[in-house]
Amino acid sequence: MGFFKALKEGIFKNNPTFVQLLGMCSTLAVTTNVKDAIGMGLSATVVLTCSNAVISLVRKLIPSKIRIASYVVIIAGFVTVIDLLLQAYLPDLSASLGIFIPLIVVNCIILARAESFASKNTILPSIGDGLGIGLGFTLALLILGAIREILGSGSILGIPILPESVPAVMMILPPGGFIVLGLLIGLIHYIGEKRKEKKANV
Amino acid sequence: MTAFTAELKNNSKEIVRPALILFLITVIIVGLLAIVNGLTEDKIAENKVIAYQNSLKEVMPEAASFQQVKEEETLTVEQAFDASGAYIGSCVLVTTTGYGGDLEVMVGVGADGKVTSIDILSSSETAGLGAKASGESFRGQFVGKSEAKLTKDGGDIDAISGATITSRAVTNAVSAALEAAQSINGEGK
Amino acid sequence: MFKEIIVISLSAILVENFVLVKFLGICPFLGVSKKTETALGMGMAVTFVMALASLFTYLLYTYILVPLDMEYLNTVAFILVIAVLVQLVEMVLQKMLPTLYNALGIYLPLITTNCAVLGVALLNVQEGYNLLYSVVFGIAAALGFTLAIVLFAGVREKLAMTAKISKHMEGFPIALVTAGLIALAFMGFSGFQF
Repeated sequence: MGFFKALKEGIFKNNPTFVQLLGMCSTLAVTTNVKDAIGMGLSATVVLTCSNAVISLVRKLIPSKIRIASYVVIIAGFVTVIDLLLQAYLPDLSASLGIFIPLIVVNCIILARAESFASKNTILPSIGDGLGIGLGFTLALLILGAIREILGSGSILGIPILPESVPAVMMILPPGGFIVLGLLIGLIHYIGEKRKEKKANV
Repeated sequence: MTAFTAELKNNSKEIVRPALILFLITVIIVGLLAIVNGLTEDKIAENKVIAYQNSLKEVMPEAASFQQVKEEETLTVEQAFDASGAYIGSCVLVTTTGYGGDLEVMVGVGADGKVTSIDILSSSETAGLGAKASGESFRGQFVGKSEAKLTKDGGDIDAISGATITSRAVTNAVSAALEAAQSINGEGK
Repeated sequence: MFKEIIVISLSAILVENFVLVKFLGICPFLGVSKKTETALGMGMAVTFVMALASLFTYLLYTYILVPLDMEYLNTVAFILVIAVLVQLVEMVLQKMLPTLYNALGIYLPLITTNCAVLGVALLNVQEGYNLLYSVVFGIAAALGFTLAIVLFAGVREKLAMTAKISKHMEGFPIALVTAGLIALAFMGFSGFQF
C-alpha cells in the first residue's frame, strides 16, 4: 500500500471516530469548542505519525511477546514530548486540554494503528496511515467541536455568531457531547445508506 | 547438566532477550525525554511566572510594583504600589472549587476596599463555562463592589445562565478576596 | 479526615462521575455494556485494578520520581506500572481464585487501555492527595464507573428488547444518546455542595 492510499483511507474509509468508533474519551471531552478540538486532533496526529514511523522501523527487532509493552512505552514517550512542548510554547491550550494530553497514551486509536498497521508495513505507508487516521480524527473532532460550540456557546472559534439568548449550555456539558455524537453517527449511517441505494439504482 | 544448560539457553531466548530489548527501548525513551525536558523546563517555569504577573497587571493596571504579604493554600495576597511607591490596593489570588475542578481567580481590590477588576487565571471548568466566566459581561459586574453575592443568594450579581455553580464559585472567591484585602487595608491604617 | 473521605467518595461516585461527567473510561463503557452481568464483571475488575494502581503510582511518584526530580516521566512510568499490574493481577487471580478469573478473564487485558485507570493516577498527582486519599479516590472513582456502566447496561438491555428504533440509529448511535440522557440525570447531583 502506498503513502497516499494509506492517507486517504485513514481520513475517510477508516475514519477512527465515525467508522471505527475508537478514542471516544478524548473525542467527547475536548469537543466543547473548536480551538480545543483542533489542538487535540493535531496533537494526536503528531503522536500517531511519529509512533507509527518508529514502530514500523523497529518492528523486526521487537519480539512478539513484548510488542504491546514496547509500543506503549514508545507512544508514552512521544506523548510526553508533546505534553512538554505544549506546556512550554502553547500554555493556554495545554491548560484547557488538561489531563487529556497525557491520556493520548491510552487512546485506543494509536495502539490499534501500531498493532494493525505499523507492525506490518514499511515506514512510508505507516507515516501515511498515521497522518490519515490523525487527520480523520481531527476532522471528526472539528465537526463535533463546531456543532457544540455553535449550539452551546453561540460562537465559533470564540467569535460570537448567535444572539445570547439562543445557545443552550447543555450542549457543551457532558450530556450534549453524548447526544450530538450519537445523532451525528446516525446521520452518517443514513447518508451511507442513501448513497448505496443510489448506486444500486444506477 | 546438558539439560540444564539447554534450559538456560532456552530461558535466555524466551525471557532474557525480550526483557533486555524492552529495557533498552525504555532507556532510549527516557533519555529522549530527559533531553526534551531539559530544553523546555525553563520555558515552562517562566510561563507560569508570566501568566501570574500578567494577571496581577490585568487587575491592577496602575501598579508599578507588587509585594507578597500573605501566602496560604487557597489565598495569596500581593500589595500593589504605584510608581511613587504609594499603596494603591491589593491583588488577591483565590483558589476555589467550581464545577469539575479547581478555579483560580485573581481579584484586584483598591485601597478604598472596592473591586477594581477580576481575572480568571486558570480553570478546569467545562471549557465553554470557564470561557463564559472570563467574559466581560460577567466579570464586569464585580467592578466597584465592596461585597459580592449572587442575586439568587440575595445579592446583586447575575449568575451566568445555566452555570450557577461556576458563577457562585467565582462570586465566593471574590467575596473571600474582599475580606482578605479589607483586613489588610484595615491594618495599614 | 473521616469527613474528607466521605466528601471525596461521594463526589467521585456521583457529582464528578468518571464516565458521565469527566469522560474517562468511555471505551469500555460503550463496548462492554450490552449485558448487566458482564458490565458488573468489568466494573469489579476495574475497581480492583484502580485501587492497586492508585496505591502503586502514588508510591512510585512520591518516593522515586519526586526525589529524583523526574516528575515529567510520570506518564511513561504510570502506564508501565498499570500494564505490569494488570498482568500480575491476571496471573494471581488465575492461580488463587480461578472462579473470579474465569468471570473476569477476558476483561482484564482490556483494562490496560482503560483511560480511567491512567486518569485516576494522573488526577491523584494533580489534586495532591496523600496515600490514603489517593486509594479512596481510586476506589470511589471505580465504583462510580461501575455504577454508570451497570445502569447503562440495564437501560440498553431493555432498549434492545422493547424499543423500535430507526435502523440508522441502531446500535452505537442510540447507545450514545442513551448515555447522554443518563448523563443529564447525573447532572442533578452537581448542585450538591459539601
